[in-house]
Amino acid sequence: MKGINKLLESIGRGVGKVVGSMYQAGRDSVDQVIKNVLPFMAFISLIIGIILKTGIGDWIARTLSPLAGSLLGLVVLSIIIAIPVLSPLLGPGAVIASIIGTLLGTQFATKAIPAQYALPALFAINPQVGCDFIPVGLALGEAEPETVEVGVPAILFSRFITGPLAVVLAYFASFGLFTN
Amino acid sequence: MQALASAAEWFIGLFIAGGEQFVGLVTGIVPLLIVLMTFVNALITLIGPEKIDKVGEAAGKEGLIYYPIRYMILPFLAVFFLTNPMAYTMGRFLPEKYKPAFYDSAVSFVHPPLGIFPHVNPGEYFVWGGIAAGIEQAGYRVSDLAIRYLLIGLVVILFRGIVTERITAIMSKRNVVAEEPAS
Repeated sequence: MKGINKLLESIGRGVGKVVGSMYQAGRDSVDQVIKNVLPFMAFISLIIGIILKTGIGDWIARTLSPLAGSLLGLVVLSIIIAIPVLSPLLGPGAVIASIIGTLLGTQFATKAIPAQYALPALFAINPQVGCDFIPVGLALGEAEPETVEVGVPAILFSRFITGPLAVVLAYFASFGLFTN
Repeated sequence: MQALASAAEWFIGLFIAGGEQFVGLVTGIVPLLIVLMTFVNALITLIGPEKIDKVGEAAGKEGLIYYPIRYMILPFLAVFFLTNPMAYTMGRFLPEKYKPAFYDSAVSFVHPPLGIFPHVNPGEYFVWGGIAAGIEQAGYRVSDLAIRYLLIGLVVILFRGIVTERITAIMSKRNVVAEEPAS
């Protein structure tokens, strides 16, 4: 009798833990979507709507697409975004990367830019990722103030090299993608 | 009067187009995002994110074979289990000289998994989502792009980590020399 009781108890505990974590996970996910994802979607939808209806889209297709539709253009884009003074300013909330990504997305949709440039483009719009957050990120890793002092410029300079390099790498890695 | 009416129609048209986009995004991505995030978040709670602490302790050692652990496996696990921004707390297991490079590596990995694991950074989904939506509308399979973005992301954070580690070493040596000119 005692054995059965124990078994039932441990099953109950186990199920309770699993169901509890799943319920909590659902709550966290819905919270995240309402607080962070939906507002951004509203903002992005507004931008896309305006681009599509006003003809800004055609203008972008003529000016930005030749730039984004070639390896050299994407490398130039990534170098500009990775300039050590500029990158921390372009970082916050990944807003700039999202907007440029969405603009390019509208051009990929109409095939104004060939689809095989999608992979290098993903890296070209994002060499500044986290550049606004370096001191906080290092503090989260319990870094000493001396480390932060050296780390901030080290990361910014590194991006200037590795940003364009990532685009080139992604370009070669995208061979065979979307060719049919 | 006629001109005024058509101006108003044009003005409202901007937001009707935007609204259609919004509905497309909400019905297309949000349900998937919520269910997938629920699954992964539950999985993470059940596994226990503290288990990756051991990887963090191992990653700080000297030697060539520890580079991929420090700048590929550890950032991947940290971002997957702890998500943005708590992933950067894994830096606490590393020696000071590796911390900037680890942060650089980890923060560069908060977008590449978004096509497959959007739970790592749902607030910045559109860094991936903007281009992905365009590719989908053009009629291509987005998962091809998603998997390559993830894999190339891993390669990029590895060499970014190594480059930043070198630059950090050079700069801190220069700082020490500047502070003690007599010696």
